Amino acid sequence: MTPAFRLSGIAKRYPHFALEDISLELPEGQVMGLVGVNGAGKTTLLRLLNGLAAPDAGEVRVLGHVLPGAQVAAKRDIGFASEDMRLYRGRSLRWHMDLMQGIYAGWDAGYATELVRRFDLTPEQAVGGYSHGQRVKALLLLCLARRPRLLLFDEPTTGLDPVARIEVLEALADVLRDERRSVLFSSHNTHDVEQLADSITFLHRGRLVASADKHAFMDSWRRVVCQGALPAGLDDWPEIASARANGSLVEIKARAWDDGLPARLAAQGLQVQRSDPMALEDIFITAVRSGGVA
Amino acid sequence: MTLNIPVIRLLVAKDWQLFQKQLAVLVLAGIVALCFLGLAKPWAFYVGSLMLLIVLVSAACFSISTSLMNERKEHTLAFVMSLPVSPADFTVSKLIGNLLTFGVPFTVLLGGALAVVVLTPLPDGLLVYSLLIFAYILFAYAVSLAAVMSVTSEGWATFAMVGTMVMINPYIMGLAQIPDINDGTRVDAVVWTTPAVAILSTLVLLSVAIIGGATAYHARKPAFY
Repeated sequence: MTPAFRLSGIAKRYPHFALEDISLELPEGQVMGLVGVNGAGKTTLLRLLNGLAAPDAGEVRVLGHVLPGAQVAAKRDIGFASEDMRLYRGRSLRWHMDLMQGIYAGWDAGYATELVRRFDLTPEQAVGGYSHGQRVKALLLLCLARRPRLLLFDEPTTGLDPVARIEVLEALADVLRDERRSVLFSSHNTHDVEQLADSITFLHRGRLVASADKHAFMDSWRRVVCQGALPAGLDDWPEIASARANGSLVEIKARAWDDGLPARLAAQGLQVQRSDPMALEDIFITAVRSGGVA
Repeated sequence: MTLNIPVIRLLVAKDWQLFQKQLAVLVLAGIVALCFLGLAKPWAFYVGSLMLLIVLVSAACFSISTSLMNERKEHTLAFVMSLPVSPADFTVSKLIGNLLTFGVPFTVLLGGALAVVVLTPLPDGLLVYSLLIFAYILFAYAVSLAAVMSVTSEGWATFAMVGTMVMINPYIMGLAQIPDINDGTRVDAVVWTTPAVAILSTLVLLSVAIIGGATAYHARKPAFY
């Protein structure tokens, strides 16, 4: 089966930022959440995948096409929306829909009408009069109704109120029912990633620090509470992301939990009281503070 | 280089639709300016020629800013680039769109100005002078278009547009210093002198070369960023 995309040894260098040594693959029908702080390289990665930027090294292959050379063919099957993308303020959503219909042979007018109703949009109104949430929903509508094989979203839920956010996430969840459709979306909101993604990719300072199945990835992280004195050098253990003492309690955040860890901690004088799974947000913050993920 | 002609056609139509209201107003204002010129009175000639220059400069600046600068400023460029277009498709669509949105008022007003000169009591010698003025506007437009296509800074783009357009003032003064051209404006006959032909052909050739060069450079880019 052709993967939705495959990045092999990608580098993209700017004067003050560089994306280095990125190798990543998204199988068809999968949803990948891209997580990273501002400036981690998420937008650059999405631009490479849409053919908007050319890599300085490596190969970008999307839906079987090598980019940016074959970007026209690839973009016929890609729906791309980014947080900084805007529609023409003086024109209506209907005008934009007509433009899309002229460009994309697979434009699904019935689905577009259904999305207009679901998102409670007024197609005849000028887009300039839309709220931020309505603008995001209009952009998503224009992406979804062309029935692309790959959806690339850069921060799709940023700035949305809770109701609009849920509507957008529900629409995305509907899209994901189609097993041939693949999605890569970046988000600061780790709850969205946790809710929708099959796999998670962490970018930090232009480097890929982890990319794994969501459940396996989250299972590998644990918050461990121990009784005892914090031994020196615990932070240097490769499986430990952070360790801090609070009185006689020591809180450890393990990035590579295994059943043998409690025994190794016990050998250092720490008795494990409990170990809990961590939320993705907690993992994200811990990983960034510790300077890496895996 | 294979171009995606159907999408280019749609993008050109889009730019035309976005510009058509300003276009109608500009053509209307240009026609009013030509009416003043046609009165063939000194005060009306002054008002009409000034108004015509303002309309031409506005048409050039509006055309470039609507299709290129505003797209960057209002982040609609990201939307256009996400469509199935290559940098070559995008460049060609912008070139054709701009040539249409500027070319239509330019051609209408050029035709109108020449007709006014020939059909009214104004001296026919003004025909060559009018062509020289329109040729400079075309040249300034070509420089501005090439500059705005090449720089991402709004400040530099505005500087290029304003800078080239205001240079029409010393250009007009310069024309007045050339007796072969200046003297011809007072006679009731079309007089083609060597300086006039040289300036006209230089400006037209430079305009074509600048636009062609900028288009070729941008169309060869493999990616947008």
